[in-house]
Amino acid sequence: MTEHLLEVRDLHTQFPTRDGLVRAVDGVSFHIDPGETIGIVGESGSGKSVTVQSIMRLLQPPGRITGGEVRFRGRDLVQVSDSEMEEIRGEEIAMIFQDPMTSLNPVFRTGWQVGEPLRLHKGFDMPRSIAAAVSMLTRVGIPEPSSRARSFPHEFSGGMRQRAMIAMGLTTSPAVLIADEPTTALDVTIQAQILDLLKTVNREFRTATILITHNLGVVAGMCERVIVMYGGRVVEQGPTEDVFDNPKHPYTWSLLRSIPRLDAEEHDVLKAIQGLPPDLTNLPSGCAFHPRCPFQVERCPREVPPLVAVGPTQLAACWVTQSGVDLNARDAASPTGESHRE
Amino acid sequence: MIGQPTAEEIGTPAAGHEGRADRPAQSYWSESLERMRQNRVGIVCGYAVLALVVIAICAPLLAQFVTHVTPTHQELDSQFDPPNAQHWLGADEVGRDTLTRLIYGSQVSLAVGFLTVAMQLVVGGGVGLVAGYFGRWVDEVLMRIVDVVLAIPAIFLFILMSILFRPNLLTLSVIIASVGWGGVARLVRGESLSIRNRDFMLATRSVGAGSGRLILRHLLPNVLPIMIVAATLNVGAVILAEAALDFLGLGIHPPTASWGNMLSNSQTYFTHSAWLVVFPGLMIFLTVLAANLFGNAVRDAFDPRLKS
Repeated sequence: MTEHLLEVRDLHTQFPTRDGLVRAVDGVSFHIDPGETIGIVGESGSGKSVTVQSIMRLLQPPGRITGGEVRFRGRDLVQVSDSEMEEIRGEEIAMIFQDPMTSLNPVFRTGWQVGEPLRLHKGFDMPRSIAAAVSMLTRVGIPEPSSRARSFPHEFSGGMRQRAMIAMGLTTSPAVLIADEPTTALDVTIQAQILDLLKTVNREFRTATILITHNLGVVAGMCERVIVMYGGRVVEQGPTEDVFDNPKHPYTWSLLRSIPRLDAEEHDVLKAIQGLPPDLTNLPSGCAFHPRCPFQVERCPREVPPLVAVGPTQLAACWVTQSGVDLNARDAASPTGESHRE
Repeated sequence: MIGQPTAEEIGTPAAGHEGRADRPAQSYWSESLERMRQNRVGIVCGYAVLALVVIAICAPLLAQFVTHVTPTHQELDSQFDPPNAQHWLGADEVGRDTLTRLIYGSQVSLAVGFLTVAMQLVVGGGVGLVAGYFGRWVDEVLMRIVDVVLAIPAIFLFILMSILFRPNLLTLSVIIASVGWGGVARLVRGESLSIRNRDFMLATRSVGAGSGRLILRHLLPNVLPIMIVAATLNVGAVILAEAALDFLGLGIHPPTASWGNMLSNSQTYFTHSAWLVVFPGLMIFLTVLAANLFGNAVRDAFDPRLKS
């Protein structure tokens, strides 16, 4: 078996809370290769952010990785020391956060901050790091970069701050860039620009990109492969096109049907997913999605379905599709419990 | 040039600032200094404190060229002189010049004031930063220690410590700071807690910064405004505490002049030589007032929590 750039194997992350143990990530496995872009989708609380925070070892206490491996360039990031992890963070794996408005330190000039990884990891002195920051700001499309580097973050708009964050992440040419909902806090027009930028970065720097989002449109436009998470587990993964054309998990299927479409009939009602996201301290038995699943069979509440190959390219964790049912075919038949809207 | 939104992303102006096109966007510090400048009373009081500092530093020069006597020089024919041409603010029971002694006394008050506040900031600030940054059990342990320190009845501690150590500028500062740092620690800890949970701390950690760097380079500059505010507001209180200790005979001992021991010394003569009480009392009053008003102005200008 060939070595992947980054491989997550059977990762478990738990948060002991007053209401009980939260299994935020419960046996997640995936991998990424150089130059690839993969998407992780799922609703709030599905464990997608915690998964990447576990990879970066940036979990907020009391969160703890309780099992599994994160293989990266021959090392297991779960096991390496804190100081080794500090070397890897920012130098080899960089991360971009959801809210650019608060991700930059308000008391420092932007150039100072964008150049910080270079001073931390490459031993650059102040003038050199700021010069490098200015050229990186140019590359991410910030106009008048040399005067902008002297500005404070509050003088930047949201889109420009996110550009600055991306510049900061890229200064050390990391092998992996993790973007945790990088466009959620931005205007739609700015979203498109930032996504374009991420795509360009991915091409030019051959940076493997992990994109976390709950926007399926973003995944369709950006990612070669997609991982769908629900209740802390991967429920489906595969090439984006295959998963979108032919979802093999009812959750993916419902997500895709809940997107408003421009080409929909005028009277079509938007099909929201029934019920509420699961309570993480008290996940439903068996398949966590079964209380909301229109295809539910008797086995679903009793046993957790394993993630297995359900097609030439796809993996899914579902008893229904593993028994050979085609979800798209059932679409027209309108399965029980799905036809009425609340 | 700086602060003008570019055409490209004008669609998402940053909250507040870019909207005001008439004024260039400013950093936190220059904005605060601007607010400071607009506070007349605060500025006047700031200069008053500054003038006192200059007087304290130049005390030997002033004694030599203005009052022409040392603070311990006794003139037996000037005993209990009321203010006159030779002794502008009168003389005491052994004929020492009150003005000269007041000038030298300012050295004690200001030195103890600033030294104590500096110690409070270093110890209280350090404890607060560490407790706020690490949180959890570190926070728990440090804050319980602070609770204990704040529960100590200060006056008894002062009495005990001034028996154990011979009071001078340094020991007096240590004594006052040893109970005063708790308040600073609490303040800094609270602010650190809220800032350490802001996204940029996580973002900075994600580029590989360690805890030491995060605390000193990223957390400290963000809590600095609140420390400055605490410091300036504490100076007045410390000067008062020092004067009280001197007055009780627990601080600087005569013949070294301090405002507190001058007051204590002259209370016997209050009925016939009131100026011996009035002038030191007035100095304490005016200095503390100026320090507090300046502190208020600094708070109004710098405290990030007062910004809407």
